[in-house]
Amino acid sequence: METTVAQIQVIPLQYYIIFCSALFSIGVIGVLAKRNALVIFMSVELMLNSANLLLAAFSAYRNDPAGQIFVFFIMVVAAAEVAIGLALLVVVYRSTKTIDINALNRLKW
Amino acid sequence: MSSLSLFLTVFLTGIVLVVAGLGIAILLAPKSFNLQKGEPYECGIITHGTSWMQFKAGYYLYAILYLMFDVETIFLFPWATIVRDLGYQGLYSILFFIVILGLGLAYAWKKNVLKWD
Amino acid sequence: MYAIITISIVAIIVLFLGAIQKKTPLLPIIFVGLPVAFIINLLGWNQSIHYYNEMYIADNFSIAFNAVLIFTTLLVFIFAPVYYKPVKRPLEDIYALILFALIGALTMTGFGNILMLFVGIETMSLSLYILAGSKKFDPNSNEAAMKYFLTGSFASGFLLFGIALIYGACGSMNLETIKEFVVAHHNNIPAMLNIGLLLVAIGMTFKIGAAPFHFWAPDVYEGSPTLITTFMATVGKVAAIAAFFRLMSSSFSDMESSWVVTLTIFAIATILIGNLSAFYQDNVKRMFAYSGIAHAGYMLIAIIALKQQAAGVLLLYSISYTIATITAFAVLILVREETGTFSINAFKGLAKHNPTEAFAMTIAMLSLAGIPPLVGFAAKYNLFIAAIEQGHLPLVIVAIVGSMISVYYYIRPVVAMYFNLPSATSAIDSSSNYKKQIFLAAFLMIVLGLIPGVIINLI
Repeated sequence: METTVAQIQVIPLQYYIIFCSALFSIGVIGVLAKRNALVIFMSVELMLNSANLLLAAFSAYRNDPAGQIFVFFIMVVAAAEVAIGLALLVVVYRSTKTIDINALNRLKW
Repeated sequence: MSSLSLFLTVFLTGIVLVVAGLGIAILLAPKSFNLQKGEPYECGIITHGTSWMQFKAGYYLYAILYLMFDVETIFLFPWATIVRDLGYQGLYSILFFIVILGLGLAYAWKKNVLKWD
Repeated sequence: MYAIITISIVAIIVLFLGAIQKKTPLLPIIFVGLPVAFIINLLGWNQSIHYYNEMYIADNFSIAFNAVLIFTTLLVFIFAPVYYKPVKRPLEDIYALILFALIGALTMTGFGNILMLFVGIETMSLSLYILAGSKKFDPNSNEAAMKYFLTGSFASGFLLFGIALIYGACGSMNLETIKEFVVAHHNNIPAMLNIGLLLVAIGMTFKIGAAPFHFWAPDVYEGSPTLITTFMATVGKVAAIAAFFRLMSSSFSDMESSWVVTLTIFAIATILIGNLSAFYQDNVKRMFAYSGIAHAGYMLIAIIALKQQAAGVLLLYSISYTIATITAFAVLILVREETGTFSINAFKGLAKHNPTEAFAMTIAMLSLAGIPPLVGFAAKYNLFIAAIEQGHLPLVIVAIVGSMISVYYYIRPVVAMYFNLPSATSAIDSSSNYKKQIFLAAFLMIVLGLIPGVIINLI
């Protein structure tokens, strides 16, 4: 454990923040720009995982395990979210025959 | 790191890099929209019939169930590293957790999710 | 805490009874289990017990809100047999998911650690995603579920990144520790904390459906099955706003300067967008979605005007909004059963054949619009007074203008019911239970409007 923490701390904390912010931004822009529901799921996963990485980095830097425990919860929730998302995707595909979210236009004012 | 300017620089750099990349792609890439792009297998040739017909619901449900139970075991890892320190209380807690998981599996079983046909 | 455990057990029992094809005992078990949970919840009054290293705190704030949430869920379940009459299979999955969503909501009101906030939000949201799509073969329902899922998980991403930054700045996710950090660094709040708080606020405004992150709400509310919309619009919204209030008041009340302006802008935008959009709706269900957005804006005022009194005012506002909305939806479900449409025309002449329902609907609408002596007026009045005392006069002026606009669209169904010729030829039957429930809600709205102080001074 100590060696792992030491190895993590070889890289300065700023670099983790830069990297995670970039990952998060890629995820956000992916969600906003892409029209394929599966790609949007992947982008959301990217957002969640950037938060995971950031939490793990902070946790290692502060020698505080709470952040890593939170990562576990995020992973589990993300898995549940993916399961539900795929199920909804199948249902939507059955009715519209596409996974392009532009086809979701029945409800509009 | 503690200063606002450095953080904002970092944050904005991240955003600018990504926006620039995507923006250039949007500007340069040829655009067309058709529904085929939304198809699961976009490989040039129009698929015969609907891909829905070949979909085997069994695989899909198995995959999702596997995903769920696979990830839930993540909670066993922190317990396993300090199993001796926690003693019986930890054991009971983790058994309770596994029982809850088992209930989920039992429900899926009862709803015939595990039937292969 | 024990209320949550009770409801979990009830939910699991319901799930398994449904799996072995027992249909009749499902609702009776829920009708026993929820009141028991309600009482267990109230037993902890004034004790402020901390569970599991302050993960969950059962203080008066959370107990009061939990009581509202459990009671609302009970009312939703009373409509379930009417709404699901044509369905023959046991509906254990839907009932159990509603209960699971309730568990998430109860967790959200009493979290003592941001970890529990996240777990609660996700428990509630994940259940609601499925519930929104629970009409499997209705494309509208599918679309609503997909939109809700995509926007909801997007919001969760923001929330998480914000939490990660707050954790990085404060070194803890415990609300008390964060507060200590904020107090200690009062003069130099790290930028990371500000950005993290902004991201968390964005995530939470998504969940409560406040502008500028409200765009999912109308589509989702319109497409979901009406019973689920009722649940979402009441329990989902109240739980999210209570969680937001708790987060802000227990951790970040000492760095007000960095978020009050943002939230004020959000609240003004929410009130204006919600009321102005509701103005143009002919679909009553969609109108309620926008009205829900507007009310989220009013509830944001309670967060902006944080002080001891604000918790009680927020509680009163939540109760008034919840009861009125649920009554209106109850009548809407009945009308829709009969006429097959959500259009405002369906309400024409309802008063002639169904005076009870029309009366209850009128009370609900007037209460939502904030007309004295109903509870909606008392709630809005106290809210605005609290905000003016804190010096948020422009915000209150916007809110009052919004309220005036809202009178128009709330009165429209009332006018249609009383002053138009009936379109349906016969009365809509409703079971006596249904009538009693609607009557009880109308009664509560009038009585609470007369004695609002009781609720406000509760917490």
